[in-house]
Amino acid sequence: MNLLLKSIRVTQPGHSFNGKTADIFIKDGVIRKIAARVDARTAGKARVLDMKGKCVSAGWFDLRANFRDPGQETKEDLLSGLDAAASGGFTGVALMPSTDPVVQSKADIEYLLQKSSRHAVDVYPTGSLSVDGKGRELSEMFDMKQAGAVAFTDDKHPITDAGLMVRALQYASGIGALVMVFPDERSISGDNLVNESAGSVAFGMTGSPAVAEEVMVSRDLRLQNYAEGRIHFSTLSTAGAVDLVRKAKKQKHLVSADIAAHQLCFDDSALAGYDTNLKVLPPFRTRDDIKALVKGLEDGAIDAICSDHMPEDRESKEVEFEYARPGIAGIETAFAAAHTCLKGKLKLDRLVAKFTTGPRDILGLPHPDISEGAVANLTIFDPKEQWSPEPGSMVSRSGNTPFYGYRFTGRPLGIVNNNKTTL
Amino acid sequence: MTKDLKTHRLSTRHLLGIKDLQTEDILHILETAEHFKEIINRPIKKVPSLRDITIANLFFESSTRTRVSFELAEKRLSADVVNFSASASSVSKGETLIDTVNNILAMKVDMVVMRHPSPGAAVFLSNHVDAHIINAGDGTHEHPTQALLDAFSIRRETGTLKGIRVAIVGDIRHSRVALSNIFCLLKLGAEVMVCGPPTLMPKYIGDLGVKVEYSLKKALAWCDVANMLRIQSERQHLAFFPSLREYVMQYGVTRHVLDGLKKRIIVMHPGPINRGVEITSDVADSDQSIILQQVENGVAVRMAVLYLLAARQSM
Repeated sequence: MNLLLKSIRVTQPGHSFNGKTADIFIKDGVIRKIAARVDARTAGKARVLDMKGKCVSAGWFDLRANFRDPGQETKEDLLSGLDAAASGGFTGVALMPSTDPVVQSKADIEYLLQKSSRHAVDVYPTGSLSVDGKGRELSEMFDMKQAGAVAFTDDKHPITDAGLMVRALQYASGIGALVMVFPDERSISGDNLVNESAGSVAFGMTGSPAVAEEVMVSRDLRLQNYAEGRIHFSTLSTAGAVDLVRKAKKQKHLVSADIAAHQLCFDDSALAGYDTNLKVLPPFRTRDDIKALVKGLEDGAIDAICSDHMPEDRESKEVEFEYARPGIAGIETAFAAAHTCLKGKLKLDRLVAKFTTGPRDILGLPHPDISEGAVANLTIFDPKEQWSPEPGSMVSRSGNTPFYGYRFTGRPLGIVNNNKTTL
Repeated sequence: MTKDLKTHRLSTRHLLGIKDLQTEDILHILETAEHFKEIINRPIKKVPSLRDITIANLFFESSTRTRVSFELAEKRLSADVVNFSASASSVSKGETLIDTVNNILAMKVDMVVMRHPSPGAAVFLSNHVDAHIINAGDGTHEHPTQALLDAFSIRRETGTLKGIRVAIVGDIRHSRVALSNIFCLLKLGAEVMVCGPPTLMPKYIGDLGVKVEYSLKKALAWCDVANMLRIQSERQHLAFFPSLREYVMQYGVTRHVLDGLKKRIIVMHPGPINRGVEITSDVADSDQSIILQQVENGVAVRMAVLYLLAARQSM
């Protein structure tokens, strides 16, 4: 795969071309030349693409996606999910283990790695933290890590047993592994249908209060401190939780956190029409919470923005709100959603960092570099393009999204990775 | 009926809740219900208004009085009626709600009256099927016809709702009656207080514009009307108070409590009553209680709703 990207703006903090346009010549999947101008003759028979007004950054990384493979391939499978990821601008994806059966053995990890090995998008599987994801006994983390698991988590099942949480943190720290948790005290949050707030009291659903998230973050920070392990909080949604993480970081705790892109775009008043595509976990919170998430992105309390891709079929969404499964198939819209909803609040290179270095640092993965001699792992995007997703236009096998008709600014155009491109 | 009433239609196709209903619509329903109340007290209680209309009563949750009340309202308007009862849990595992209703609509049904245990179910249905939908209670969300009949019943006692103080007492958290009553009474100019233990009170209920009071004594001293809600043990998956005995000690209305007030308040209950829990028998059966009038008015109010949604020009 030989490509010459002409006049493309480089978005990579610290890079000598950051914010400037350059020509980038890629040969056999490796960046051969990056300069203000690369002569087409140097590039030989390479495809030459005029990229005026477009941007390039290190390939984006999604910290949380569900591809439902094995078990629920009607909603998504590994390859349809990876195609959707590429369409969303991601060159790497950390997969959640809550498939059916859950990912909890060396063989499960190897299946995901082997089946995806020829794709442009790299898969980084996570393994189940507990056996069958049931939150009772530790799974064989070491064996899975040896096979390639990058972290351990029970996905959206909170670890209610504090004893198990301590042991997980201790055991994981012994093997240099990361524990990712979804903080939610279920005995308080209940069915998690909607946020508890002044805005949602009229919806007639028992709300999940912010304290259900905060109390779990608080508990796990204490346990992390005791166990001296590393902990990552997934899809934070409340101002209080962001604050707790910020304070813990100041005290040098080994803690990191992400948010789902769609949490920046909707507050809980959006649920007035009981649209099941707006049913997400955690539920949409208040405007003040959104402000706190933005502040967390600015000051570094939040390290990464993920898609929290949860594809669901119509049968799981076209039902009464209470019975609908939560989640958004968000991998194709994550960047556009974050970029649109953070407009004027976070600089572009800082936003891009939440999709590149932020998630990779959490998992301890190397940063792709845009330099001569480096393997080309790139995302090309247009920060100005205005577009709206339409039903039927998504690459994902599932279309559960509240973003149909939503006016986005900014769009991923393609990726270059593994000597392949979707441009 | 006056000429005015004959030409006025509701601004909505469905009755999904009170929250989004316009005050003019509420007043129009109450006015129309006055006429139907007169009709059902005639020797011949029936009018032919809806004789070419078929109505399906879909009850996915057990109900006696609401179902009977709707059915009588429909029959007194000469509508054709079909009843469908099923437990929502068994339906949710097999046929979807949309399929169930579309199958019934395929048999040429014009209106659907639905009770469902899930909040928002009526809104959901109205977005997916082509029929007039009347919400007969959707989980802990709304029960609009109950609120309308409650407002109607209070107005008949007091002449107006403006400035009338209504205390809603009991399980506010799990009550669709409370939520619909709050919306309805506030729109009609009444003052509303909710009273119950804090565990049965939504944390942000005050943001709807109601007063919150934990003491029954203070609530009763404040109000003109006390609407005593049923303790919904079927909706309480968790223990929100230690025991029924302790609940009664704090929130049960007895003759003694009523006699201790310096004024005569009106006592209401949406039914079915747990006698000796929310209210004792000597309160339920007293002349301060308008519980049976509520039941009678329920038929008239539901007739008005059905009639107006069917957009008939005259009776």
